[in-house]
Amino acid sequence: MPTPLAAPASLLFSTLMADDKKSLALGLRRRDPELLDRLIEQYQYRLFRYLLYVTGNRERAEDFFQETWIRVLERGHQYDGKSKFEAWLFSIARHLVIDWQRQKKAQSLDALTNPEEGAPMEFAGDDPSPLHLLLTQESEGTVHASLGELPAIYREVLLLRFQEELGLAEISIVLGAPISTVKSRLYRGLEDLRVLLAGESA
Amino acid sequence: MSQDHARAERLIAQERVEGLSAADQQWLRQHLSECAGCAARAGATEQAIRSLRGLSIALPPALASRTQFRVRIRAEQLRSEPRWRAVWAACGISWAFGAVTAPYVWRWLEWAGHRLGVPNIIWELGFGLWWALPAAVVALILLITDAGRGSRSDWNRQEN
Repeated sequence: MPTPLAAPASLLFSTLMADDKKSLALGLRRRDPELLDRLIEQYQYRLFRYLLYVTGNRERAEDFFQETWIRVLERGHQYDGKSKFEAWLFSIARHLVIDWQRQKKAQSLDALTNPEEGAPMEFAGDDPSPLHLLLTQESEGTVHASLGELPAIYREVLLLRFQEELGLAEISIVLGAPISTVKSRLYRGLEDLRVLLAGESA
Repeated sequence: MSQDHARAERLIAQERVEGLSAADQQWLRQHLSECAGCAARAGATEQAIRSLRGLSIALPPALASRTQFRVRIRAEQLRSEPRWRAVWAACGISWAFGAVTAPYVWRWLEWAGHRLGVPNIIWELGFGLWWALPAAVVALILLITDAGRGSRSDWNRQEN
């Protein structure tokens, strides 16, 4: 039960957030260079981390990172200011990765977006897995290794939910998938990670 | 009892993924305080999430500044694109207008030339100049733009 003060405070907060998003959308539409500089600085760690975990390759992640911001510049007018900026940002990055993967593997879009119906999507398909190599090189223990063993679709939602702290609706925007799909991937991914970690530590 | 464990397993994950109602939360707390197996499972799930949150990566050197530089160059290109579109559109319109009006302009210049008593070569040169004028304007724009681009390249080199 919210306190009498909590409701106006949260209302004020959400209004401020909405104003922020609107001014952000306006700045992106104007291609404001200072705003883009600030956003690149602000989101560099989170975006690069996301790209690194989904591609499994530092150089490729860096290329996608730069390409993502070029897209943000070119398509800034498409951000409506209603959803969180990071959800829109990650969805751009994700589309770039999927386009690259589609060119590489000549897979259909359905296979990429509905992986439960076929083989699980792997963003990085080199053999041995670049992510595995990366994680071996930068070994930070069993978590990295376990994460590397998870199929990319589960790894991705776990990262978006528990590292990026995105809500279910925001993840569904990034993935372009229904919330029910996001939930089922999260349950499955969390369970697999728990089992993997338990196995590693046993 | 096994139904309770199954419910607890479901709620442990649900709590992290989408949250629980107060009643479910209370039931789960109660169950975990009585069941060591489910409590261990809840602990392991929590540990998995904590580990995930604790992962860190190293950023490539100067990633942000290199990206900012690329974005600014692209922004510069995008800003100049509409100007070029306008130049080409003006050229097209000018050419079409010139082609349609050429016979009338020729006749008018011929008439004006005879009336003023100027040699044919003069008004014919005037006609040629009238045709060449749009191309001359475009050439002038190109020269000015190239000069501007040259000074920007100097700035880029300094940035590097």
